[in-house]
Amino acid sequence: MAETDERGLHTRRGFLRTAVTGMTVLSAAALLEACGAAPSSPAGSKASSGSAAAGTDTGKEIEVLRVSLPGSLSNLYPGQESGILNYYVAGICMEGLVGVDTTGKIVPALASSFERTSPTTYVYRLRPDARFHDGTPVTADDVLHSIEMARDAKVSPATAAYWANLKKAEKTGDAEITLTAKAADVAFAWLPSNADALWIAPKAAWQNAKSGFGSPQSLPVGTGPYKVTGFVPDSYVEFSRVDTWHGSRPRIAKIRFEFVPDENTRLLAWKAGKADMALNVPLAQSRQWEGASGTRVVYAPDRSYAGLTFNTKAAPFDDVHVRRAVAHAVNRQAIVDKILRGRGQVATALSTPEQFGGLWTPQEAAQRLAAVPQYAYDLEKAKQELAQSKVPNGFSASLSYPNTGPHLGTAAQAFAADLKKIGITLEVKELPIEQWLAELNEFPPLSYMWYFNTTGDPGELATWFLGEGNPAKYANDTIAATMAKATAEADPEKRAGLLIEAQTAQAADLAYLPLWWGQAATAFGSAIGVKDYTSYTLLADWPGQVYAAK
Amino acid sequence: MNGAVLAFALRRAAATLALLLALSLLVFALLYLAPGDVARNLLGTRNVTPEALARIRELHHLDEPFLAQYWWWLSHAVTGDFGTSIRTGGQVGPLLLDRTGVTAATAGLAFLLSVLAGVPAGIATAVRRGRPLDRVIVAASVVGVSAPGFAVGLILLYVFALGLGWFPVYGTGEGFLDALWHLVLPAVALAFGLGAFVVKLTRAAVIRELDQDYVTFARGRGLSERRVLRLVLRNAAIPIVTSLGLMVAYLFGGTVLIEVTFALPGLGSLMEESVLFKDIPVVQALTLVVALVVSVTALAVDLSYLAIDPRVRARAVRR
Repeated sequence: MAETDERGLHTRRGFLRTAVTGMTVLSAAALLEACGAAPSSPAGSKASSGSAAAGTDTGKEIEVLRVSLPGSLSNLYPGQESGILNYYVAGICMEGLVGVDTTGKIVPALASSFERTSPTTYVYRLRPDARFHDGTPVTADDVLHSIEMARDAKVSPATAAYWANLKKAEKTGDAEITLTAKAADVAFAWLPSNADALWIAPKAAWQNAKSGFGSPQSLPVGTGPYKVTGFVPDSYVEFSRVDTWHGSRPRIAKIRFEFVPDENTRLLAWKAGKADMALNVPLAQSRQWEGASGTRVVYAPDRSYAGLTFNTKAAPFDDVHVRRAVAHAVNRQAIVDKILRGRGQVATALSTPEQFGGLWTPQEAAQRLAAVPQYAYDLEKAKQELAQSKVPNGFSASLSYPNTGPHLGTAAQAFAADLKKIGITLEVKELPIEQWLAELNEFPPLSYMWYFNTTGDPGELATWFLGEGNPAKYANDTIAATMAKATAEADPEKRAGLLIEAQTAQAADLAYLPLWWGQAATAFGSAIGVKDYTSYTLLADWPGQVYAAK
Repeated sequence: MNGAVLAFALRRAAATLALLLALSLLVFALLYLAPGDVARNLLGTRNVTPEALARIRELHHLDEPFLAQYWWWLSHAVTGDFGTSIRTGGQVGPLLLDRTGVTAATAGLAFLLSVLAGVPAGIATAVRRGRPLDRVIVAASVVGVSAPGFAVGLILLYVFALGLGWFPVYGTGEGFLDALWHLVLPAVALAFGLGAFVVKLTRAAVIRELDQDYVTFARGRGLSERRVLRLVLRNAAIPIVTSLGLMVAYLFGGTVLIEVTFALPGLGSLMEESVLFKDIPVVQALTLVVALVVSVTALAVDLSYLAIDPRVRARAVRR
């Protein structure tokens, strides 16, 4: 359900960037010192996001929309390769039984309606008019086969594990599918969506895929508003509008995604007017993008969580006083303001505010999440906590961050400077994303977590972090009981309450220190406008929201 | 003589095979030892059980001992089955074939440009040693050798694509002429360093010959400068051709960065992504392709000595 959003792109400029980051680090540390007196107010976002809507909707057709991506997709089926960009691209071509709308609510897709008939039973009725791009009607067999493929670790290595809670999928009528879960869990409802783990294709297409479904030799066939007309990994993927879609006809005839791995080249191409829209504009370059003529850079929460994970079984972090000392020494507000330049929000919990979609607005959710106890930036308190710990004179530790998230490194350098003042030496090191991921397997004493939620389930990260096999090796019986109740709770509001309760209890033990909830920057040219641009828009039927602006 | 040449070629082919085998084992071992976990690379930071990770490793035979893994790969590779890319899920064969064209065209164009510009410039500087033209070209070639290809690429992009708008910023284009037009900047960026290298080499080789006694003697006998130069060039050809052969290997290394800068879907960008991902089947196949190209070039260079130098020809016949 989560992924690091960019492929590991390591260019020579990566090294240069590191050098630049190294310089920023010094100034960031100085800045943080200067901001030392700043109160650590929870959840204060100052992100002044430009609007994605622009000008007036001319109602005209858009012949081709050129979208520039920061890295290549190597496969169009997210079951094989599941970066967030894979989701955005695949979503316009392939559907699940259900999908997500711009508010983060589960909505019908290939199923015209769905119903939870018992805590573990979900019944989906297929649209009678649904057709694949090749014109064949969608049958229950196609759906069942697609589910089988999604559960197959060979075909869908990236998503197979999600289906662990599925007991059986069966045809219960001509156009009716029933999914039965092993255990009641509200999160189960997300599984058959293309924002999570199901992309429906004809049975024949799966069987005929000689060389990996979704690869250029076996292009995906779906039911969405667009079909693939050309795919060259590391170059581009092109889609054309189809007449077989059941939804309302989008105005864009063709969408062409160009893969430009080098960020300088991408910026130059944008300035030369080679794209109408650019996804995931890097934070470090955002000023240059904002300065380009006829460009709006829009920031929207990307439901990412960045935070520290303490291994509660490894010294010295097995001591809660040590964890509290670290927490008091991290100036999260200054990190958000200075390092993220306001393009983020201080995280007060594991769940992001956008994941309470359909229940609360992000603002309401942020307010409720702010009630979770926080550790204010206070070096005096940090010293006191450390004095009470088993290592009153301080200690040394190391923290690594992935090269795809240089801002994680800058933030770490900043709080390492503060930790130094209370006697904790933190060695911050950059690792290639691949190596960083492998290190997480080893449960390091102190680690970063950089997690991108794809679903709108507020328990997505909390279920993992507070459940068995969590990365902090954290165990608390009371929390386990609360989480069990939350999992079984059918009422979304009560469930959300239980999730917050569990996170509140976690805050006392501090196995995890949430740092910030991130935002993604998207650049739009002046001729393009997007309606309802939220955290979920790109997972929803987004081409339908795009219009030609004047 | 033809029999001798054939035997020579056969010996070289056998040596190349042995080299490829050793290289495949070495690269396999390096990737095996490199940090990183393929299963994690596929799954990112998401919540998966150790069992799910183990299942993926099992599917790709990553849970087996090193030699068993290598044997599994080798026994398939000799039948022409290079397996399935872990990262993309596609067959390695078509994956490589799709990308060879772009890299071959970029590298070929760059090679051509650097030779066509570098060799004449090198000769010109050698003949005019110490004069202003020599100084200027030598200085320029020092810059060329030391400037990193991607930086040259970005400058070219800034000036010729964004500023003047003469060339496209990135991509491959459609149709022969459009594709060629798209490859000009990448090829020039790649040829910049390479051409400078050729200039320096050619200059050194020609100067060395110009200082030989036979040149003084030929001039003393009243041969025209043109005929003297022909003698000199023929003698200087062997070191130049040898180094041009070596440059093929260098060219491939250069394409990795150039292809990323210009967003070209070639073997270089594939190599970069695959090595980082630990996509062993792709890296293995790519290594072999590159090693084969380099070996074949080396063989062609050696055979070209026969054409260039009668002394080598005579030795080959005696054997």
